[in-house]
Amino acid sequence: MATIAVPLGAQGEQIEAEAVQRPALSEYLRWSVDHKIIGVQYGVSAFLFFMIGGAMAMLIRLELWTPELDVMVSGAAYNSLFTIHGTIMIFLFIIPMWAAFGNFVVPLQLGAKDMAFPWLNAFAFWLIPPAAVVVLLGYFVSPAEAGWTSYPPLSTLFSGDGQTLWALGAHLLGISSIMGSINFIVTIFNMRPPEMTIWRMPLLCWAVLATSIIAVMATPFLAGALTLLLLDRVAGTTFFDAAGGGDVLLWQNIFWFYSHPAVYIMVLPGMGVLSEVLSVHSRKPVFGYRMVGLSSMGIAFVGFTVWAHHMFTSLQPELRIPFMITTMIIAVPTGIKMFSWLGTIWGGKIRFTSAMLFALGFLSLFVIGGISGVMLAALPFDIHVHDTYFVVSHFHFVLFGGSVFAVYAALYHWFPKVTGRMMNERLGRIHFLFTYFGFLFTFFPMHVVGMLGMPRRVAVYVEAFQPWNQLISFSAFVLGFSSFIVIYNVIKSYYHGPVAGANPWRALTLEWQTTSPPPATNFADDPIPFENPYGYGTEAAAAYLDVVDEAFSGGNGSP
Amino acid sequence: MMTTAIDRQQKPKFARRSEADMRLKNNRLGMTIFQVSWIMVFLALIIVNWQLRFSYSEWPPAGVASFDPLLPSAATLALLLSLVMVRQGLQTLRRNHVAGFLMRWRGAIALGIAFMAIIVYEFASVSDAAMATQYGVTMRLMTGFHLVHALAILAIMVYVYRSGATGSYSRDEHDSWAVEGTAKLWTFVTLAWLMFYVVLYWIR
Repeated sequence: MATIAVPLGAQGEQIEAEAVQRPALSEYLRWSVDHKIIGVQYGVSAFLFFMIGGAMAMLIRLELWTPELDVMVSGAAYNSLFTIHGTIMIFLFIIPMWAAFGNFVVPLQLGAKDMAFPWLNAFAFWLIPPAAVVVLLGYFVSPAEAGWTSYPPLSTLFSGDGQTLWALGAHLLGISSIMGSINFIVTIFNMRPPEMTIWRMPLLCWAVLATSIIAVMATPFLAGALTLLLLDRVAGTTFFDAAGGGDVLLWQNIFWFYSHPAVYIMVLPGMGVLSEVLSVHSRKPVFGYRMVGLSSMGIAFVGFTVWAHHMFTSLQPELRIPFMITTMIIAVPTGIKMFSWLGTIWGGKIRFTSAMLFALGFLSLFVIGGISGVMLAALPFDIHVHDTYFVVSHFHFVLFGGSVFAVYAALYHWFPKVTGRMMNERLGRIHFLFTYFGFLFTFFPMHVVGMLGMPRRVAVYVEAFQPWNQLISFSAFVLGFSSFIVIYNVIKSYYHGPVAGANPWRALTLEWQTTSPPPATNFADDPIPFENPYGYGTEAAAAYLDVVDEAFSGGNGSP
Repeated sequence: MMTTAIDRQQKPKFARRSEADMRLKNNRLGMTIFQVSWIMVFLALIIVNWQLRFSYSEWPPAGVASFDPLLPSAATLALLLSLVMVRQGLQTLRRNHVAGFLMRWRGAIALGIAFMAIIVYEFASVSDAAMATQYGVTMRLMTGFHLVHALAILAIMVYVYRSGATGSYSRDEHDSWAVEGTAKLWTFVTLAWLMFYVVLYWIR
């Protein structure tokens, strides 16, 4: 005997009429404590930085078209170019981009009216623009040249004042990230409806929870490392200078103790997105739900024990094997997720929507990134390909093939909820084809040139590598072009897309059980979640979805 | 056979919390997470201290006198007493005895100032010989970093005390969150200091 309760108040129709109004665009430019506004603010500004960082990637590839130095004036200029490219993509694009989806979707999935600390949420976002200005200003004043990892002595003795500004900006971004994460953890623990136990929580919330735990535990180490770097640069201390009793490895240890967990900050929410998208668009329950939730926690935990694999060539030899082992262990929870995703789509009623295509793209590319990760974890191989394009290929497979594909999947999946309009599926498919093949032919050949011995972070290379590099650069330009398709699609769909209705994908999680876009308080009444957030394919689920459809039929229109 | 009775008026099985209860619960959890998070910076500085020890064959380095733990121990005692008074003040407030709360917080603030005065003196009196090595530099890094936090949170304590003196707080948990939160921050300052105290003065 099951009673299906609908997450609606008696006055559902009335709320519907009010909610069709989208927030005016000017509201996105102002201070707002509404998590839906803040989510869009995060998302749009992060995408803007993605385009800036992408333009820099295009310049890098243009420089590498020929073996000589031609586009950039000097090697130092090239150094500062890839430094700012990495910094923007990591600190200003990926991390804020996941805060965007986390902010918009998580409170809705939990049936909450807002985040636990709305003011703090807005404050965390508004730290990002000044931090971005400081970091970018540094690039134009006297650029940092030490890579996004800022190893001393490169970052202490050789870099310009931009390095100081870089450290200040990163400090602000770290504080923003800690505040945002505290907010997520409290929201997820405290603001669930009483019916939603932790084992009935959507997997995106699990992933954001794991991410936030990493962020609050690891980011303070970045703050510590940056403080030392600033003191070395400004106050004349010698923490990283052996001549003054310091130790260069100190930076690497503390920095990677933050930054290795931070790569999971960059990809775990994407894994959460994947569980949502694959399940909804193949109409099947998530395979091994508990294991997927727990594997997020497993990744978060093991992620703290692997940092020194970034220092294999500088580490004391007796410490290398333990870190090699922990690094290989982290492939286990990741493998659990992989199997869960395959098990989820296996035998499903797959709809090849754009969101699904990008999710499948993630699956195929992330597995390559994961395998090259295990290869790099193997010490002898790592020493062979140390500092070559193989490493560049590996982390782009994980961070672009993984995170960015998940960002696109999330965009196509939740755009109807954010704006009330569907995105154009035809353009979405074209966008997918350009992105997928552009990506594959940009980064897959890098494995080969890396193993042949082309070093990373140099503008000049041996002539024999030129054909490879021209293939890579050409594909990179295709990849760069693909991002304009999605921008065009977003703008076009925002104004002219078909009306989405409350639940265009017929999904069971709570964010779809309200109007698109949701009203200011998110739900007309306290919503009641369906017993299983991924219980597709049952009669009860179909009945629940029918009731929701009927309740919101005022603005209904299926894709 | 499953029935699909739909009841729009159905109330959830469990009672939902009131907004005020929710806010208090959120504040408490948020504060705990903040403390666990921010203590990591102090831990990072301890790791810095430890790793730099290995740059030297002995610690303190040859020719540098080790710090005298006498005055810092007195400061630690003052801080611990101050923490006791802060916590007692909170409990007294919970028993609706505002004057008792204010009295204990006056004492706590005075002891906090005494703690900071001693540590500032210690910070200032690091010898040049020590400052030529990481022994002195990391000591100043750690105590300086801690002093900044102690100062900021002491300022919050003074602010809360002044609000308390104008009758802003009552025994009600919702009304006295500012007191409770500040007491937690002071606990944080004390714990962070205890870690530093052991590392700086007792681990050779």
